[in-house]
Amino acid sequence: MIEVKDVKKRFGRKEVLKGVSFTAEKGEITCLIGINGVGKTTIMNAIVALTPINSGQILIDGEELHKGSYEKITFIPDAITMLPQMRIIDAMQFMDDFYDCWNEKRAEEILSFFKLDKQERIANLSKGNTAKVNLLLGLAMDVDYILMDEPFSGIDIFSREQIAEVFTSHLIEDRGVIITTHEINDIEHLIDKVVLLNEGYVLKEFSTEEIRENEGKSVIDVMREVYQS
Amino acid sequence: MNRYIKLVNFEFNRFLKIYLVLIGITIASQILGAIIRSNQYLNDMNDLLYEQLMTREAALEQLGKISFYHITQTVWFMGPIAICIVTLLIYMFFIWYRDWFGKNTFIYRLLMLPTARINVYFAKATTILLMVFGLVAIQLLMLPVGRRVLQWMIPVDFRVDQTIREILTSFDYLMILFPSTFYEFVIHYAIGFAVVLVVFTAILFERSFRWKGIVFGLIFGAFAVTIFIFPVIVQAFILPEFFYPIELFALECIAGLVVVSLSIWTSNYLLKKKIRV
Repeated sequence: MIEVKDVKKRFGRKEVLKGVSFTAEKGEITCLIGINGVGKTTIMNAIVALTPINSGQILIDGEELHKGSYEKITFIPDAITMLPQMRIIDAMQFMDDFYDCWNEKRAEEILSFFKLDKQERIANLSKGNTAKVNLLLGLAMDVDYILMDEPFSGIDIFSREQIAEVFTSHLIEDRGVIITTHEINDIEHLIDKVVLLNEGYVLKEFSTEEIRENEGKSVIDVMREVYQS
Repeated sequence: MNRYIKLVNFEFNRFLKIYLVLIGITIASQILGAIIRSNQYLNDMNDLLYEQLMTREAALEQLGKISFYHITQTVWFMGPIAICIVTLLIYMFFIWYRDWFGKNTFIYRLLMLPTARINVYFAKATTILLMVFGLVAIQLLMLPVGRRVLQWMIPVDFRVDQTIREILTSFDYLMILFPSTFYEFVIHYAIGFAVVLVVFTAILFERSFRWKGIVFGLIFGAFAVTIFIFPVIVQAFILPEFFYPIELFALECIAGLVVVSLSIWTSNYLLKKKIRV
């Protein structure tokens, strides 16, 4: 389980996170939702220690993040994390060289699922294909937790559909996923838990199943209620 | 350790194309320089002998014999050395900043590798060191090559043949690159390596605290320089002629070790606790 406990983060005078707490379980898809600038990406960066926090605690399976944790958790940011001059095959080789949890077989499977040519250079890829390569590099790791920051950002509808398919496939099965997205329609039916953020606070944290079954509402209905009130 | 070596290999390969260009420029320029300078000498000598109809002795008295020293004084010889030094100085900053800026966000990947983050720092420093030694080695190999070109072009009566040692000791700048004793070699390159580590730490300050980090980085740099020259200041102003040269050297070594240790410790702390993407 990923536990984010009372995390505060300040950039200069601006307090971006004012005591954010939530948990994300293994085998569940947790979605962080909020308008631009509420600190979604900062939370993601903080979980994988790419941004230091001012106070609070982040635990992954009860432990603070350490170098070995990167064999257990992976982060897929909204930009490619490989060098543009690399070919896809070079990027895969890099991952294989450095990560024990890299699963070459799964990488090949994702490659054919996304219909990517591994000889192609990253710099020459379209935005949609760049996002797919980014997903490939994260999903082909045998990790327990996957963090995805805006995986649908700025890509065409067909690529979005293809990426959304990943969430129902065995590639995600049994793993804990934390995702931030504005394109909630694409994955609303797939997510298990929602954390609604506003101005550095968690406004509401709820299970989508409970909301659907008990109140007959969709995630978007709850968002309207919370944000428009 | 294994991942550190892989990182060094990776970092080295990222710079390989520019590095090969630098080597190519050095080889081409220095051979060309030897040919052009020798040719110029031959033209001048021919002018004295066949246009002004001087005797060989009079011409030699006026023009003197040419040696490899004259070639080392040309821009063809010193130019590529300067280009290599400037490129490596710029690369010392570029090796970090390129991972944050531009189209890629490779720093995400580097910081999320399942290895101690300080290995990234060590890998980048090792890469710079390897590049310096590589270029110095190429330069050392180019000396006999240039000398051979001179020997091919200039008749023996018109030139002075120098040994490699004579070439090195005849030119102060080359003495910096190729110290004459192992002791000096260690001093020159250890100071160079310490400077690289201090600059890296200053860069990490900037990357951790942005604008404030520039100030912290400059303070850290000034502090490191102060520690390093402290024994010399003591000797010069506080306790004149107090230390024997060997004692002063030992104190400088200790000061250097303190600077290097401080840089590594601070960088490790910044990479673990303060760095941000």
